[in-house]
Amino acid sequence: MKIAVLVKQVPGSESPLPIQSDQSWVDEGGIAYVMNESDNYALEEALQIKEQNGEGEVVVVSLGPDRIQKVIREGLAKGADRAIHIKTDTAGSVDPLVTASQFADALKDENFDLIFSGLQSDDVGMGQTGVIMGELMGMATASLAMATEVGDGKIKVKRELEAGWFQWVSLSLPASITIQSGLNTPRYPSLKGIMGAKKKEITVIEPSGGDAKQSLDKVYVPQSEKQTVMIEGSVDQQVEKLVDTMRNDIKVL
Amino acid sequence: MLSNLERILFVILVVVSMGLAWVTFRRMFKVIGRGSDPIDWAKALAKWPKGLSVFLSQKTLFKTRPVVGAIHAGVAWGFTLYLLVNVIDVLYGMVPGFHFLPNHFIGDIYRFFVDFFSMVVLVGVLLFVVRRFITKDERLVTNEPVLLSESARKGVKRDSLIVGVFIILHVGFRFVGASFEVAIHGADWSQPGATLLSAAWAGLSPDALVFGEHLGWWMALGLILGFMPYFPYSKHAHLFMGPLNYMAQIERRSPSTLEIMDLEDEDAEQFGAAKVEHLPQKELLDAYACIMCNRCQDGCPAYQTGKELSPAAIEINKRYYFNEHLKEFSEGADSLDSLSKWMLSEEAAWSCTTCGFCIEACPVGNEPMVDILRMRQDLVLMESNFPRDAMEVFDKIENYGNPWGMSPMDREKWTEGMDVPKMREKGSAEYLYWAGCSGAYDDRGKDISRSVAKIMNEAGVDYAILGNEETCTGDSARRIGNEYLFQMQAMQNMENFEKYDVKKVVTQCPHCLTTLKNDYGEIGMELEVVHHSEFIADMIKEGKISPDKSLEEDVTFHDACYVGRHHGEYDAPRDVLESVMGEDANVVEMPRSKEESFCCGAGGGNMWYEINTGKRINVERFEEAIETGAKKVATSCNFCMIMMEDARKVTGQDETMEVYDIAELVADRI
Repeated sequence: MKIAVLVKQVPGSESPLPIQSDQSWVDEGGIAYVMNESDNYALEEALQIKEQNGEGEVVVVSLGPDRIQKVIREGLAKGADRAIHIKTDTAGSVDPLVTASQFADALKDENFDLIFSGLQSDDVGMGQTGVIMGELMGMATASLAMATEVGDGKIKVKRELEAGWFQWVSLSLPASITIQSGLNTPRYPSLKGIMGAKKKEITVIEPSGGDAKQSLDKVYVPQSEKQTVMIEGSVDQQVEKLVDTMRNDIKVL
Repeated sequence: MLSNLERILFVILVVVSMGLAWVTFRRMFKVIGRGSDPIDWAKALAKWPKGLSVFLSQKTLFKTRPVVGAIHAGVAWGFTLYLLVNVIDVLYGMVPGFHFLPNHFIGDIYRFFVDFFSMVVLVGVLLFVVRRFITKDERLVTNEPVLLSESARKGVKRDSLIVGVFIILHVGFRFVGASFEVAIHGADWSQPGATLLSAAWAGLSPDALVFGEHLGWWMALGLILGFMPYFPYSKHAHLFMGPLNYMAQIERRSPSTLEIMDLEDEDAEQFGAAKVEHLPQKELLDAYACIMCNRCQDGCPAYQTGKELSPAAIEINKRYYFNEHLKEFSEGADSLDSLSKWMLSEEAAWSCTTCGFCIEACPVGNEPMVDILRMRQDLVLMESNFPRDAMEVFDKIENYGNPWGMSPMDREKWTEGMDVPKMREKGSAEYLYWAGCSGAYDDRGKDISRSVAKIMNEAGVDYAILGNEETCTGDSARRIGNEYLFQMQAMQNMENFEKYDVKKVVTQCPHCLTTLKNDYGEIGMELEVVHHSEFIADMIKEGKISPDKSLEEDVTFHDACYVGRHHGEYDAPRDVLESVMGEDANVVEMPRSKEESFCCGAGGGNMWYEINTGKRINVERFEEAIETGAKKVATSCNFCMIMMEDARKVTGQDETMEVYDIAELVADRI
């Protein structure tokens, strides 16, 4: 069983997010970067499948500038066997079709049985890379995995639907699955893992090209506004108005 | 005194007994030799004055349980005297016509002391037996949730009975023998006890008296020969293993400061202790020094609140493990099971707050807490098996430089609206003021930081903070067992210290204090680090600040473990408190204070994860504070404050008790 796990380095949820003066992207200098949360779960799922099978290979694949080697090392420290770094000068395209093509080109000769990726990235949150990539590589794809079961050349995936519903689907291999956070308990790397990661192989490759059909116009911090509305009338009217406001205006009900 | 036949018999018995004892003793030291870090025996033995002085003064016995300690001292002194008595008695029996300085005042004094101490030992040991088997002092047992091997639960009792009976019979028969001797030779003013007892033998024939004297001799000395081979198995071995352990003690910068691990060591197969042979030799010797008195568990915050941990059980389990596997383990066989299976459960290992009470209380210099820290290192570094919440804390420290996981750019926010100099602006300063993560991110912590800064400004101190350049010292990481993360944090901070040529540090966080002063010192960065309590106390003494003595309500003070037991400072915070107390108000002490203070429950990483077994430690301590009748509890540690504030809320005592840091009480009055 050969499994690729796509991991992305994203700003941590508590990291400061300074915006570049031209509003094109965040100022990367002051950011605390971490592994994208759902990618961490995807990696754990892959490692567990490998451990259950007793054999196989887990390969961490990431795209971005040199700084992303931190999350690549983290993946190797946790137990991935080797890594592929698709090296770009910038954070990469925000067009998921471009990103997915670059991953697909990098992986097309590897013959992976499974490609796991996080459900979506915590920075731009397109949620499409794993799915498009599966299509580009001619693989069966499933999104939003809450559980997986591998056996007999198949993978069974429990998919999360709306309102607490879920469905089981069975996919033939090879397959590309996007993983939902919370389906397992990601491990903390042992010291041996951390030390061993230094000796593991990271293949650095150039990204293939691609015409971006999407781009960011402007990045900015949402402006918060304070508005006070006094609700008047009898108690019944007040309650009615309040419920109406909460339901239709601020949509919290 | 003895007949020739008796003499031959005695020599044979001595050879057999000593031979058997020798075999066991050798194995015992071979077991100790199985440990990882060797004991430097030459260095240890060179410290014989230290061992001797502890042995003779018995001073470590009086720290906790002074009454029992006094009885023990009587028994121990009596026994020390008996070392001489037994030699003289053997000479008396074996050398025809030998009498120890008869009709000489030195001989008389000797006989008087023997007579007196025989009674002291008999009464003392009898009291011990009564306390264990009749009145059943609950401190002598270890409660159920604690992992204590079945053989130990039974064995400690049996061993105590054997040792008790042995001493009573050995000393008793020596005493009876002496009374027969008096009956034969006539009353002896130097042996009032024996003389008194000799009256009981009035009317016995001379032959019967001689028989009695021989019986006394044989029972007294024969019992020693009988006991000798058992001695290394019994906890009575503490008699000399205790002082030896004291001499072999590792000098640590603080009880929780372990040696720095070489993480780059390519050949290292093991970090921390998974199996007993991974523990240093000194910590195996600990098990032989332990008399199983359970003093360590008397004030252990985990044990006292019903958790799975008893520091005593660690040593007792080790000892019984050695006893049961003596032959094979001493000959080099691997110990099969991991420590968590038989020495200390995992939950127990995580329950330790590293408060240091067990080490403080131990009369023979044992360090059960250090075993726990080593086990944690294995669980974290090798097994990656530790509380989930601790994992989040590691990630937060690694990613954001603080265990709260808040933005590193918000670290100096507490200074807003205040004039607090930053190193990056000032370049250098006499003192680095280290607010620490709690002082930067916790709301009450920020109050403390602002108070300290206000005091320093008022006193005109040349200081600066690192502000956003500061990052977690790595205390929690290190105590939880994550040496790797600790070293990463240390390197970052030490770089800054070098950049700004930092030599002196003031901090209100006792955990940062211990780490900066001791753990960084162990790495090689020597800093002069003082706690804010010491710093403020000095400011007051030097007249740089003079707070109003306007606190008109009684205050009780909660000692922080890492200021007290780990740093040895008990007076400074109290001096600071006294400086603000009004005329009719007092600092009232809790029953457990200073060296015996009871932990708040947050140390050793317990701030960050929850052990749900038993009562909450902070509630236990908070209730103790309430019972003093004071309306305020003063702390000198941010973690303690958080724990007290939390207990105040969960017990619904918001109205009854307020929590303040000593710095706040001062800052409000200048």
